[in-house]
Amino acid sequence: MRRLSQILALIALCLTGEKAQAQERPSFIEGGVLRVCTNPTLPPMTFVNGADLSALDGFDIALARALGAYWQVPVEFETMDFTGLFPSLSAGRCGLVMSGVLKQTSRERLFDAVAYLETSPVIVAPEKIAPVNSFDALAGQSLAVESGTSYAARIEEINQELAARGKPPIALQQYPSEDQVVQQVLVGRVQNFLSQDVELFYREAQLGGKLHVIYSPHLPGYSEFALYLRRAGQDRALLASALDTLRQKGDIAALEKKWNVGSAARKALGVATQRPRFNTTTFFSALFSMAFLKGAGMTLAIALASHATAIVLSIPIALKLNAPRSLWHPFLRAYVAVFRGAPTLLQLLFIWNALPQFFPIFRESWFSPFLATWICLSINESAYQVEINRAALSAIDPGQLAGGQALGMSQAQIYRHVIFPQALRVALPPTINEFISLLKTTSLASVISLQELLFITQVQVARSFEFTEYYAAALVYYLAMVFAFLHLQKRIETRFVWASRDGAAREAGKSVRALPEAGGPRHAA
Amino acid sequence: MLHNLPPNPDCALSLRKMSKFYGEFLALDRISLDIGHGEKIVVLGPSGSGKSTLIRTLNRIEPHDSGVLMIDGEIIDDKTSLPLLRGAVGMVFQNYNLFPHLTVLQNCMLAPRLVRKAHYDATDSLARHYLEQVGIAEQADKYPIQLSGGQQQRVAIARALCMAPDIILFDEPTAALDPEAIKGVIGIIDALSERRITTICVTHEMGFARHIADRVVFMDKGTILEVAPPESFFSNPQTERARHFLNQMIHHG
Repeated sequence: MRRLSQILALIALCLTGEKAQAQERPSFIEGGVLRVCTNPTLPPMTFVNGADLSALDGFDIALARALGAYWQVPVEFETMDFTGLFPSLSAGRCGLVMSGVLKQTSRERLFDAVAYLETSPVIVAPEKIAPVNSFDALAGQSLAVESGTSYAARIEEINQELAARGKPPIALQQYPSEDQVVQQVLVGRVQNFLSQDVELFYREAQLGGKLHVIYSPHLPGYSEFALYLRRAGQDRALLASALDTLRQKGDIAALEKKWNVGSAARKALGVATQRPRFNTTTFFSALFSMAFLKGAGMTLAIALASHATAIVLSIPIALKLNAPRSLWHPFLRAYVAVFRGAPTLLQLLFIWNALPQFFPIFRESWFSPFLATWICLSINESAYQVEINRAALSAIDPGQLAGGQALGMSQAQIYRHVIFPQALRVALPPTINEFISLLKTTSLASVISLQELLFITQVQVARSFEFTEYYAAALVYYLAMVFAFLHLQKRIETRFVWASRDGAAREAGKSVRALPEAGGPRHAA
Repeated sequence: MLHNLPPNPDCALSLRKMSKFYGEFLALDRISLDIGHGEKIVVLGPSGSGKSTLIRTLNRIEPHDSGVLMIDGEIIDDKTSLPLLRGAVGMVFQNYNLFPHLTVLQNCMLAPRLVRKAHYDATDSLARHYLEQVGIAEQADKYPIQLSGGQQQRVAIARALCMAPDIILFDEPTAALDPEAIKGVIGIIDALSERRITTICVTHEMGFARHIADRVVFMDKGTILEVAPPESFFSNPQTERARHFLNQMIHHG
């Protein structure tokens, strides 16, 4: 796909010929591709517009494409959680962060930044709340902000000023995405939220006039959006001159107009439109949408692949650990302890963000979120599965091994035909239990942009704000999958007829009834 | 003394100064013994005397550490093929160790299929033949959990017979059986002996030993103290240790 787009870019280059002289390209364009990291949950800057997840849209996305055209290279977007943007930039997974990120000195200590759009912070509250003109009026109230942004630190500073004047602090609550921040005020858990004006302009219709801006404070460091890049050579200057050229050509003004941002859009939130509490049309169209089906498919695929790999990994480890002590023991014990001990989310972030810093090969595009999640969950799950397998193997009477040996069977034959079939019965219920837990754990992979069910849900919520409907659709999918596996477990358990007198008797009854049809001499000897 | 004679290749089993250690502990101390084809041997002795260890060394579930073990004229050592040895020396465990996930018939068929690579139909008729011989042909399609202790033991015997052994080792064959079932085992072992299959039983049951044994081997602390026909062993034991053991058995057993 990428090669195709490179060829197209090359053809475009040939066609335009002499007219479009190639601009000097900054070094963050690697392999002839401009890679951009973005968290597509911040409309109108960057978001998914519609049910198709690959259809990124917004001001930043359009600007990225304009930059790509300027340098005559194809643009590729890496979508991820907001907290993953800067680790990914430093890991080299992309050349630019374009995700409605504010230009702030704390970030500029580590990365270069080039401003591209004016903005203003806004305090938003339900419509019945009257506008205020200072932070003093918010003292003692609750305020939601997006985590990973610098709003929280800024509010702490304001709290210190409030405290110095003997006023109660603003109670800060942090949520992982912008849409969740807005939801807290909509459901009435939090009194106000702090955001940027551009998003409010866009949300106007969805919020249905329930919210409005009560205060637009002047906060230095919150008045410009910037593109971030790694500090290297002339890159910053080249990017700035590219933006200048686009501005002179009027391209940026056209984008501002299209997306209702920038100086053109400074206006209050507006018209009230009534929205039902639960829109069944949205719910059903989400339930039967390709996007949700694909998301559920991805969840199922990653869970099955990871658990299958985990089982394959765990059997030899369990056998080794159950055998008499050997040199392997301390290493295998450490393996189990580490991967059972560390939070799964931390392991995911480690593999995705930290690994490329040590091994550049993991930056390349073959190392997809699916692969990273698969590796992480397989290893993580194998540590749990080892304990299940050990317990199951220990539950088998050692006499079974002796019985097999006395009949001249090899160790491998005994395990294959005698031990494993019996251990399977013991291991199966906890294994399916573990699988169900894993099926739900896969939702963590949304932080490294794996497009599983929860990721799809969040993207849709960010676009439309119909969160109850989309959450309900996701819930239906998760429950349907879990119930299917619980049913499967029951079906499999009834096959172990030999384990109880009743079950064995039922099975024997069946074969007796089947006897006449089987025919043939029963006592050939 | 047998100790100083060469092993006898005409015997089913011939042991010379065979010893077995568990770490520092000497479990078998220079055992020498000759057992003929079709002979019925009962090994008696107090707990920990080494009698169970002795029969476990005979099919190398516990390999011996020194001395000579000869079976059917072949010296048994590290180079011996275990499938071949265990085909020649079958074993019936105290708890039978049937495979609970397989039916009676499948229990009997598994080893011939895997070890001997025998054809399915041939194995099937072989297994049914031996199940009939031990009197439980009608239980072929049941699972072990459905059978009584005595029936399970018969399955274990049939399963061992399917490998066509020359020798069958019995570890406490009567431990979990009622008197009726014990009679049945005696009948089966007599029938084996008629077919020149050697049987070696470890037991605590004096009545059973008296009934079945051609010779009784009395062991204590890893050594053989007496080898004698049951009539003379039970009426006139030669060692103080054996007398003491028999007295205790009469009072408590």
